Amino acid sequence: MNVALAILWKDLVSEWRARDRVVAMLIFSILMAVVFHFALPGSRPEELQALTPGLLWTAYIFAALLGLNRSLALELDNDALAGLALAPGNRGWIFLGKATANWILISLVQAITALIFAIFYGVDLVPALPGLALVVGLGTVGICAAGTLLATMAVRTGFREVLLPVLLLPALFPVLAGAVEGSLAAVQGGSIPFESLQLLIVVDGVYLVVAFLGFDYVLDE
Amino acid sequence: MSKNSSHSELGPPSALERRVSTWRRTLGIVLALCSIAYGWAVITAPIDSMQGIIQKILYVHPPLAYGAYLGFVITGIAGMIFLGRGREDMDRLAIASAEVGVIFCTLMLITGPIWARGTWGVWWSWDARLTVTLLLWFVYLAYLLLRSFSGPSPRTARFAAIYGVLGLVLIPLNYYVIEIFGSRSMHPENLQGGSLGDGMGLPFLLGNITLGLAFLYLVFLRWEVESQRTAAGEGSSAR
Repeated sequence: MNVALAILWKDLVSEWRARDRVVAMLIFSILMAVVFHFALPGSRPEELQALTPGLLWTAYIFAALLGLNRSLALELDNDALAGLALAPGNRGWIFLGKATANWILISLVQAITALIFAIFYGVDLVPALPGLALVVGLGTVGICAAGTLLATMAVRTGFREVLLPVLLLPALFPVLAGAVEGSLAAVQGGSIPFESLQLLIVVDGVYLVVAFLGFDYVLDE
Repeated sequence: MSKNSSHSELGPPSALERRVSTWRRTLGIVLALCSIAYGWAVITAPIDSMQGIIQKILYVHPPLAYGAYLGFVITGIAGMIFLGRGREDMDRLAIASAEVGVIFCTLMLITGPIWARGTWGVWWSWDARLTVTLLLWFVYLAYLLLRSFSGPSPRTARFAAIYGVLGLVLIPLNYYVIEIFGSRSMHPENLQGGSLGDGMGLPFLLGNITLGLAFLYLVFLRWEVESQRTAAGEGSSAR
């Protein structure tokens, strides 16, 4: 547990000093919002409101891919990953520390991205905020659990930038299905369907367990 | 690539792999005989009064699906045994069943739209089972890509095993998604309920048996090849 906290603290401090991941993800997300404007010309406001959750999640997932890749690529400098592998204790805690740091950084980017989408597309997200935050938070747990595990694998192959999306996107279908459904209900002012939350919680639990146990083998040198 | 393979005393081929290699020869003969009966049964099967000749895809399409899913399940389980017990022969089995599973899945995804165009009038629909199978196909393509991008090493074998287990977990998860959101299904749910017309049961049964045997034969053959490659020092799983 202390290992997880130490890794979390280290990741947050190094991001605070460099501020490269959050900035890169944020610029990318804003660019996505602009790209969607050109991709969907002449959409009426009510159409955009229905589309916003899907667009938002598209931006979230691609931005997360950037951040996850970078988060593990950092550990390749000076062979830091090998150092982590040598650390005593269960390696699952290392995973948990890194995944939590990723979750915090990605959530921060997601909050700002939502604000920018709301401004650009004239969607009022304030009434939807508690529900949206819950769904996005849960969905991001799944992304970070599977993403941290797979990024640790991808960064140590020859094609890291290509491989992470190919590995991660098929695994994110259940997350995306639950998250978009839940976000849509939140944006449209209804209550979040129980099925969405149930699905997200189940997927998060499964991915956390698989990644916690699997990290031991992924880090094994 | 040899420094990390010290944990294995099961040099290729393992006892199991040697046995599989003998089974494969017998299996080949049975498969050849079944193929003849299968071909004959499909040709002589009655032509469906509603769908016409295209209905004969039935004798190929579902058996391919069973093979694809079987391949993915074997990949996941073999990966788990490899991780748990360090049995490298199981890693080679995982490669074999993933590759054959992807081939079966690809053929299923080709025959499906042809049939769909003939009966539903569209090449593709986001039908529940179609969507899930397409996603699984991507998972196992990614699995093969992971293996080929990483090059042969024990680390690659471990990465692939973890991904195979994740793929195995995704099968029920994806079906759970479909269950929850109740996507309408165009696939019939009643094949076991005796919905096949007169004279269609036998070719369908023979199709399942023959393609099932073909699946096993190909997996065994690929497994044997991988074992020999490893023995020659160029296999995927280590050395």
